[in-house]
Amino acid sequence: MPLLQRFTALGFRNLAPLALDVPAHGLVIVGDNGHGKTNLLEAIAYLHAWRSVRGAGDIDLVGFGAAAFHLAASTGAGSEIRVGFERATRRKKVTVDGVPVNRLADALGALPSVTVSPRDVQLVIGPPSERRRLLDVLLALSSPSYLTALTEYRAALIRRNATIRTAGKHPDTGARAAAWEGTLATAGAALFVARRDWAERVRPRYAELCTLLGEREASALRYRSSADTSVPPDADQAAIRDALAGALERHRGQDMRRGTTRVGPHRDELELRLGGRLLRPFGSAGQHRSSALALRLLEFETLRERLRQEPLLLLDDPFAELDAERSRRVLELLLVRDQTQVILAVPKVSDVPAAFAHLARTRILEGTVTLMDAEGR
Amino acid sequence: MSAIDDLAGELARLPGIGKKTALRLTYHLLRQPKERGLRLARALEVLAERVHPCPVCHNPTESAECAICSDPRRDTSVICVVEQASDIGAIERSGEFRGVYHVLGGRLSPLDGVQPEDLTIGHLVRRATEPAGVVREVIVATNPSVEGEATAMYVQQKLASCGVRVTRIARGLPVGGDLEYADGVTIAQALNARRDMK
Ligand SMILES: [Zn+2]
Repeated sequence: MPLLQRFTALGFRNLAPLALDVPAHGLVIVGDNGHGKTNLLEAIAYLHAWRSVRGAGDIDLVGFGAAAFHLAASTGAGSEIRVGFERATRRKKVTVDGVPVNRLADALGALPSVTVSPRDVQLVIGPPSERRRLLDVLLALSSPSYLTALTEYRAALIRRNATIRTAGKHPDTGARAAAWEGTLATAGAALFVARRDWAERVRPRYAELCTLLGEREASALRYRSSADTSVPPDADQAAIRDALAGALERHRGQDMRRGTTRVGPHRDELELRLGGRLLRPFGSAGQHRSSALALRLLEFETLRERLRQEPLLLLDDPFAELDAERSRRVLELLLVRDQTQVILAVPKVSDVPAAFAHLARTRILEGTVTLMDAEGR
Repeated sequence: MSAIDDLAGELARLPGIGKKTALRLTYHLLRQPKERGLRLARALEVLAERVHPCPVCHNPTESAECAICSDPRRDTSVICVVEQASDIGAIERSGEFRGVYHVLGGRLSPLDGVQPEDLTIGHLVRRATEPAGVVREVIVATNPSVEGEATAMYVQQKLASCGVRVTRIARGLPVGGDLEYADGVTIAQALNARRDMK
């Protein structure tokens, strides 16, 4: 069953008003950089987590001179998903089959997708927050309890930080900070266990994907806690909770001096290694790209397994700056997925690999999408 | 400033009422018979003049002490701590609680500048410990939100050092759901399944 049948966009970045029929296998978008390929993929991906995959704020997605943006998708399952965001009120409204969604959490993954682009290298070379964001979006999408824990954790964290910044003004600031630590430990343990278990489960597959992408040395990923405690690697949630509570208590004095909470899942790391060395400082550009792509493929496979449906695969110039050998390997991995609906964006018709030649082609020029004929015009 | 703007301005300060609604309410009152407007005015006046927090539990009352505190059948050895006076009604409807209450007047909210001294926590500690041995148990029934939980933790820390048993209602309530809107059966279950805080 095709995931996306029809997509419309209005007032989104530089895109002209758009109504796109998407064939079952997907389509190709050809256009020079700056003409809106990436914006179009970003618009489609917006319906995955109700925010920009490029990390842009909603207000920045509203096109120049537009008052609002509106996106809508009809899915193969017969669902009609709509979202609108108004610049003046900064209000976001999501409806699924005409029914307003009050909590965005209830409609996460309405149109599940995974975006693969050269920018993904930030997943590997960027700060740990990039990797935590990947985990958070992925796990929130596959488990409502993860999202609840994440929301509670963040709420308690900003409140503990606000509390400890008043350190010194009150004789009992310690007790005031401690009041938030129960939630931080409980919700934090839930986050920790979900992230750690995911990392442990996909570890062999990550190594395998990196090998298939041409890495010769052993690749490894591991979830690493920021708490300087020696909890056993398979500790259960209650043990993690106690360890986190203990770590928060021990760090309280230091945290109060620094004005911020320095221990907990918001400081943890998804550590990537190649041949035993940390990939971030020591890997080559090609190795970074392989690892980033492996992470995206893991994201795809996890979503497919947990949502029991094939996510849409959005490929934003995925072969850019790759040598021929690596391109061939990337392509092979992507093509294993026969059932997947693919939207491939490339700068030139000659960039379309033979394997994607059967897909319908469109051209994007200054934000306007038009169908191309068989000759590629 | 006109009388209409004046009233609309006052109404707009109420929670959940925006400028539009405030104006609509004002014009609605204008269309009513004069007596009805005056009755509302008198009711507000009496509220402001006569109603004050109960000196024992901070529940609003017109008497020296509130109806619950002055009821000799209530068990004064058990205190149920709530965020708002409006939560008392919800717990009373459950018919499960025979003790007395303590209204905190809010919950810890550092982002809004609400600190422990803005709540009646100090008074609660004195009430629960002086004279020693009278109060057997303090049940903390703040809302099951992140801020409600932190408030409960803080109250517990303040009372734990005084040797009073502190319990927390069970989290049977919907997450983030306010006590005020929970039904009697849910509240009764949450009370019965309360646990010692440690
Ligand atoms: Zn009273």
